[in-house]
Amino acid sequence: MADKKHKFNLRDHAADFWDASPRWRKVSLSFLFIAICYALPFLNNPLINTPGSDFQSVLFYPVGMYVLMAIGLNIVVGKSGLLDLGYVAFFAIGAYTMAILGTKTSLNFWEILPIGMGFAMLAGVLLGTPTLRLRGDYLAIVTLGFGEIVRIVAVNTDAIGGPRGIAGIPTPPDIFNAKFTILDPKPYYWLLLTFTLLMIWVVRRMAARRPGRAWDAIRQDDDVAQLMGVNTLKYKVWAFVLGAAVAGVGGVIYASQILSIVPDQFNLNVSILILACVVFGGIGNVWGVILGAALLAFTPERIRFLSQPRILVFGVALVVMMNLRPDGVLPKKKREHFDPDWHTIEESGEGEIK
Amino acid sequence: MSEKLLELKNVTMKFGGVTALNEVNFSVSKGEIAALIGPNGAGKTTVFNVVTGVYKPTSGEVNFNGVSVVGRKRYQVTKMGIARTFQNIRLFGESTALENVVTGADVHSKSGVVGAIFGTPRSRREEAAALERGLELLEFMGLRHRAGQLGKNLPYGDQRRLEIARALATNPQLLLLDEPAAGFNPAEKVALAETIRKIRDAGYTVLLIEHDMSLIMGISDRVAVLDFGQKIADDLPSIVQNDPRVIEAYLGAPADAS
Ligand SMILES: Nc1ncnc2c1ncn2[C@@H]1O[C@H](COP(=O)(O)OP(=O)(O)OP(=O)(O)O)[C@@H](O)[C@H]1O
Ligand SMILES: [Mg+2]
Repeated sequence: MADKKHKFNLRDHAADFWDASPRWRKVSLSFLFIAICYALPFLNNPLINTPGSDFQSVLFYPVGMYVLMAIGLNIVVGKSGLLDLGYVAFFAIGAYTMAILGTKTSLNFWEILPIGMGFAMLAGVLLGTPTLRLRGDYLAIVTLGFGEIVRIVAVNTDAIGGPRGIAGIPTPPDIFNAKFTILDPKPYYWLLLTFTLLMIWVVRRMAARRPGRAWDAIRQDDDVAQLMGVNTLKYKVWAFVLGAAVAGVGGVIYASQILSIVPDQFNLNVSILILACVVFGGIGNVWGVILGAALLAFTPERIRFLSQPRILVFGVALVVMMNLRPDGVLPKKKREHFDPDWHTIEESGEGEIK
Repeated sequence: MSEKLLELKNVTMKFGGVTALNEVNFSVSKGEIAALIGPNGAGKTTVFNVVTGVYKPTSGEVNFNGVSVVGRKRYQVTKMGIARTFQNIRLFGESTALENVVTGADVHSKSGVVGAIFGTPRSRREEAAALERGLELLEFMGLRHRAGQLGKNLPYGDQRRLEIARALATNPQLLLLDEPAAGFNPAEKVALAETIRKIRDAGYTVLLIEHDMSLIMGISDRVAVLDFGQKIADDLPSIVQNDPRVIEAYLGAPADAS
């Protein structure tokens, strides 16, 4: 029993290894990791092949898209502890911005990308400012309503295609010899990956600084956070807005790849699935969330050969998993430092490399 | 008289039918250690809650440096210079001791999310300053060796001390301590009294709620006594100690005896 503490724990060992690594090793390992991510579409391994669908497409959607969205939602749910059940709304806003501006104006993808992100962020402020004063359950219900409202408005607005949605969305213009066409999902995957890596960097940076501490405080004890001088509403709205920005970008990229969108793609299921990715992977821990999203997106595709029963198999696997590891595959667990010379906040877990 | 830092004028606080504070007049002067005592349920913690903006008083005024705090947001009250600890320890248990303290120290930073993302010079400067202040306060409270440990895993006494460090990190003019010695053994109480004195000598004003009479009598410049939401005494410790009304309140004599 006493041994339980000393049980080999791969995650802690990996973290210790990383912390103890000199800078050159951290840099080269990071590069290796990034290179593998970019090379994934060329991987041709029977283990990870997705029978029934094209592996490169699966990498872009759902895998890449879920990972990105889960990182965004994790800022809201994992870091700040705000249960948002309407996250799909920001994704829809990004996608519709791309669809409308792409078909009705001469703006191209690269110009629409920041606009879509901006609209999603604006929606985050407008929704967040009044509702983030609410707590727990109320917030969940209001955000759930918001997600549905955005979809229903889209269904009922003929100017944006009503229930038939919008077709003929232009693809992004080429850059760096990468041609964005319906036939080749690789450039889209690389684009998504680039943005995802950028987001990981941003999230880790914030976690080690004032916003991260504010979110930690809010999540643990909102009242005390306020009494320690944290403007809780401001930081909650920021969490919402950053989450919205990520989903907005995801939506723009998605729409430019899929070429036509309909409102029913943006239903409650998407919000729930992304939330499941966050919880399954390990709420609050960005690596856990990434792993969770990748697994949840990939597994149903991998077992597609099971056809009808595959969702059942998937569901059972989920339930078993959550029983085995109730805190997620890679849960957030702060490691303690007993070294009296330990003194930089940056070194605590998710810090930036200094 | 010396300058009043905190002043409550005719403060009444009702919770439904319960009158937790009844027309309380009370003030704390700059540079003193004032104590607030009284039997259980007398309304002591409610005074803290009214002062820090947790509750809005039913009636009356609460002024800090002559400025009303009533109706202000809690974080604004903290920024004005009032910080507190809690009767039931309320640390950020999943954060390290250092992070707890630095969260308090962040109050005086101006940069936020944007500064953090872009790593602006101001953000870097403020991060470094908050970290330094956090370490300084851990050192001051004798918790330097706990910096990297989680709040929830600290021994009980260290948790209480960490709450004080976190409150001090906000750089308050007035420090409110709600039963900081609860659960302490005599030796720890003596050490705490010494720490509170040091805090005062460093220029902070302290208002202290405490049940331990010898601790109170040893360090307070002035003692106010609450009983059933009313202030029944407010004077030098030696005088309050011998006030028959105070003795009565503590011995539980009938309230209408006097
Ligand atoms: N939020 C609240 N809602 C209802 N009643 C409350 C609330 N807060 C305090 N009270 C009541 O106000 C009275 C004073 O409570 P308070 O916590 O201020 O007492 P106290 O002097 O701090 O007592 P103790 O020594 O036990 O901490 C009690 O009767 C309490 O039940
Ligand atoms: Mg109390």
